[in-house]
Amino acid sequence: MIPFQVELESALRSFTQVAALMRTNWGWPIAESIHFVGLTLLFGSIAAWDLRLVGLAKHVPIAAFHRLIPFAILGFTINAGSGSFFLMTEPDQYVYNPAFQLKMLCVVLAGINVGLFYLTMFRRVNRLGPGVQGPILARFNGLVSLVLWITVIICGRMITFYRPARCRPGQVLGLLADCIVR
Amino acid sequence: MFDPLFRWLESTAFSVWMRESDSLFAFPGILAAHTIGLGLLAGLSGALALRLLGVAKGIPPEAFRRFVPLMWIGLWMNLLTGIALLVGYPTKALTNPVFYLKLGLIATGLVILRAIFRRTGSGQAAMGITKVLAAALLIAWIATITTGRLLAYTYTRLSVDSVRR
Repeated sequence: MIPFQVELESALRSFTQVAALMRTNWGWPIAESIHFVGLTLLFGSIAAWDLRLVGLAKHVPIAAFHRLIPFAILGFTINAGSGSFFLMTEPDQYVYNPAFQLKMLCVVLAGINVGLFYLTMFRRVNRLGPGVQGPILARFNGLVSLVLWITVIICGRMITFYRPARCRPGQVLGLLADCIVR
Repeated sequence: MFDPLFRWLESTAFSVWMRESDSLFAFPGILAAHTIGLGLLAGLSGALALRLLGVAKGIPPEAFRRFVPLMWIGLWMNLLTGIALLVGYPTKALTNPVFYLKLGLIATGLVILRAIFRRTGSGQAAMGITKVLAAALLIAWIATITTGRLLAYTYTRLSVDSVRR
């Protein structure tokens, strides 16, 4: 696993123009502001959808809330884009950062969670009329999504406080290195 | 002028704990909670604003009233965590004009949100004005978020006795 991280880091480092842009006076702060606006858009729309799945505002058909999903996707796209800019500028601060690793794990889990939803129950749930509670698995799916996205926010905030140090010689590394290998 | 006040605040046990504690529940946890509160208040009210601007027309705007308790939780979380962050670094915030701009923007956003709920409650909504308010709310929240981020870059004094940047 560790060579993968080393390779990922050097691949990210090759986007020198992005890094140069980010290192201008306002590059990083502007990218951060965009990342937080994207966070709000993603979390706000996905939370409204998840809360409906869980059972709030059930007098409104689930299908109506589904129209908010494109905005969650927009928020996600904004954040994947702005987020990748941080990585291309300071790759070692993320690739070896346990908070970032956990954040990405939760993003992947949230993706699997939503994928399972679309594969197994979307058609059924989206046909339900007003006043109908979704099946228990759909409610659980919404709850899992809420918990995962809140964890993503927390881990994102923790990245600063888990800046990786250089690995000590002979240090035993876990599956994912959380110290800078070089 | 306010340096004695800042010095006293920064010497309180809570302020020292905010700045110097290694606990994840001190500065990092409170900062994370501040971001979750942002997501709840600005995120859910932002979704309402999008609905008023014409997205997801199948949702009656009144349905968002069910999310109001969560918006209140977000507001209270951010009021309390905001005060905690302020007590941790009073000089940093209170000597930065951007901080006052942020407070003004939050107040503006809340007033707009209140006006929106007054209009969406009584069945018939004056759509034109409601749309303007919804757009204004989104702008106010985006500006709030931006000024919030910029606080980390625009301060001139980190604490009362630190050297000016």
